[in-house]
Amino acid sequence: MKRIHLAVLVAALALTAGGLYLTFTSDHEENAFFVAAGNLFAAWAFILGGLVAWIRRPENRFGVLMTAVGFAWFVGALSESNSSLPFTIGTTFGGLFLAVFFHALLAFPRGYLETRSVYFAVTTAYAVFTVSPLLFSFFQPTSEDCVGCPPNAFLITESDTAVALVTALTIAVAVPALATTVWVLIRRWRAASKPLRRMLAPVYVTASASIVLLIVASAVSFASESGSEPFWWALTAVWASVPLGFLAGILRTRLARVSVGQLVVDLGSAREPKEVRAALRRALADPSLLLGYWLPEANGYVDVAGLEFDPVAAAAVEGRAATTVEHDGELVAVLVHDAALNDQPEHVHAVCAAASLALARERTVQALRQSEGRYRALLDAIPDLMFRLSPDGRYLAVKGDPRDLVVPPDRLVGSTAEEVLPPSVARLLVEGVRKALATGEIVTGDYELPIDGVPRHWEVRIVEDEGDAVLIVRDITERKRQERELRRSRARIVEAGDVERRRLERNLHDGAQQRLVALSLALRLAEAKLRDDPQEAERLLKTASEELSQALGELRELARGIHPAVLTDRGLRPALEALAERAQLPVDLALTEDRLPAPVEAAAYYLVSEALANVAKYADASSVEISVDRRNGNAVVEVADDGVGGADPATGSGLRGLADRIEALDGRLDVDSAPGRGTRIRAEIPCA
Amino acid sequence: MPSTVLIVDDHPSFRSSARALLTAEGFEVVGEAEDGESALQAAGRLEPDVVLLDVHLPDMDGFAVARALSRRNGSAPTVVLTSSRDASDFGSLVLESGAVAFVPKAELSGAALQAVLR
Repeated sequence: MKRIHLAVLVAALALTAGGLYLTFTSDHEENAFFVAAGNLFAAWAFILGGLVAWIRRPENRFGVLMTAVGFAWFVGALSESNSSLPFTIGTTFGGLFLAVFFHALLAFPRGYLETRSVYFAVTTAYAVFTVSPLLFSFFQPTSEDCVGCPPNAFLITESDTAVALVTALTIAVAVPALATTVWVLIRRWRAASKPLRRMLAPVYVTASASIVLLIVASAVSFASESGSEPFWWALTAVWASVPLGFLAGILRTRLARVSVGQLVVDLGSAREPKEVRAALRRALADPSLLLGYWLPEANGYVDVAGLEFDPVAAAAVEGRAATTVEHDGELVAVLVHDAALNDQPEHVHAVCAAASLALARERTVQALRQSEGRYRALLDAIPDLMFRLSPDGRYLAVKGDPRDLVVPPDRLVGSTAEEVLPPSVARLLVEGVRKALATGEIVTGDYELPIDGVPRHWEVRIVEDEGDAVLIVRDITERKRQERELRRSRARIVEAGDVERRRLERNLHDGAQQRLVALSLALRLAEAKLRDDPQEAERLLKTASEELSQALGELRELARGIHPAVLTDRGLRPALEALAERAQLPVDLALTEDRLPAPVEAAAYYLVSEALANVAKYADASSVEISVDRRNGNAVVEVADDGVGGADPATGSGLRGLADRIEALDGRLDVDSAPGRGTRIRAEIPCA
Repeated sequence: MPSTVLIVDDHPSFRSSARALLTAEGFEVVGEAEDGESALQAAGRLEPDVVLLDVHLPDMDGFAVARALSRRNGSAPTVVLTSSRDASDFGSLVLESGAVAFVPKAELSGAALQAVLR
């Protein structure tokens, strides 16, 4: 106990003596003994309770507030005085203790007012219990019922109207303040954690009872002064129990020492970090407590599962706080717990001290766990299947997605490869295991093994590990499919080249070559007829000339089909414009001005050329829209018609060939051709 | 002595030019056919001395037609193959088919035909 506490005690004793003197010498106190006893009980309950809190929690102003409530109570004792001024002060400001009480209640348990609404309620309470009674005293003489009471020293003029006005004003101010107080208390209760509720409960119960009794006593006293007396006495008794409620909270800390004893027992038998955490949660009655072990080598914390833990972030959440645990001066752990436990620092420290040895021991285990956890996380991140096989080909362990296994993992373990796999696959694996165990080298292979009837391809790597074989098996179905598709695509490209050459040869043979042969024969005939039959010779020469023109036209078409010169010389835009001009239906062009890489321009040209040929042959369209644009490093070519639709790239060799050509440039071709809704062909080709 | 000739080719312009050239040089063109099938029928009906036969026909190979004609009993015509291609494109196929010679279309004339028939 410090000097200030002693001084407060002496002052309280002096006020008690003064109060007792006034009560027992009062001319107007009929029940001096009972009043004195009641006052002493009520005032000292708060003074003593407040002093205990003050001494135990000097940093928390709640103890001071509790003590102030007790002191304020003595103001009311002045009303026992036979002199007019102290009597008037006592009767006027006798309710001050209630304002201080509200203040204390709303400041509990932190000792300060936390929000603006609380501040408003407390300020109003002070006004209601000081300003309001002072105003009353100006207009209301001492009650005639008070036999032997001295006159009101503050009376200015007697006025019932003024009294009624002040009453109305007081009610108008007091009711919202009281409602705010009730609302704040309810909200606090609902938001409180378990440890906080344990602390609030006794105070709230006694304080609520006091408030209810105060309201009832006040209401009854309006009707009958004497009828309200039992309520006031009951209020005094309940009132005096409020500090006991607070002391009960203090006392719990002492009772909690029992839980520390239990914690030591629990920790002795705890084998898992989770059990240590559970014991700590029980000891601190905080089911949300988090535990982090300090790992000096990692310069960080890990949680009970061995994963990284950030106590700063965890404690940054509202209502949470962190407390570090040390052993022999070294940091071993951190507890992130309910902030309400900060009001029981002794208990938390006792728990930490009791747990420090166990936590220091657990910490090394946790360090190992963390490294194991890291490797496990690494393994889990690998999508491959892993099997451990004994040298005779029996499955010892399996890791991976059960949907990728021929039988469920529990059936697999204990079985041999021959029992669960087709003979050819089992033979491959068992031979691989033998080879890997014999040589110590990594053995690789691949095989086909259907899962649930779906063909799948697998690649296996077999390594020796402590006398067993570990098989790492990767699903290469997609890779195989792509390889297959690539081979097919290459074959199609080669075949398309052959077909194209055959077509050209046939066109040359049937077209230009035939015409040139006919031309040659016609010329020879004309030569023979020149002398004998000049007219016939002239007709033959004319025929020859026509044949020659047609042969030239056909050769031009053929050359254009091989590679259009306009595309090479002037680029895609003029080449497509030329295509559009030759088309047999209206073509709407929207083309980029940019030149694209030559292979991309060629692919775009043949796409449009083939698409236009298809439109003419099958689409029955009235118009076509062609667009070539450059977007995000890709050339986007679109040909859309308003024809009958129904084109299928899977059946048409033309579209398939285009897709191959575009895929060879790492691009993609999409065909949207719902029946009756036209055909839209869209190619996207990278320009990089 | 003038020989009778059947011209088999699917190009009408060649048939008319060939007819004019051969007629001018003493051959008698007794008929024309535009495919293999009608060539076989016409050969049976007209019994020409010579069949000037294009290698490429729309319905069948000229060599197959030549083989069928040379296998005929009695009056098998002399078959001379022709094409807008060069003889080197066909190698030994010409003689194996039963034809006596190959004349490129561009070099066709009565004299050229006489030369190979001699």
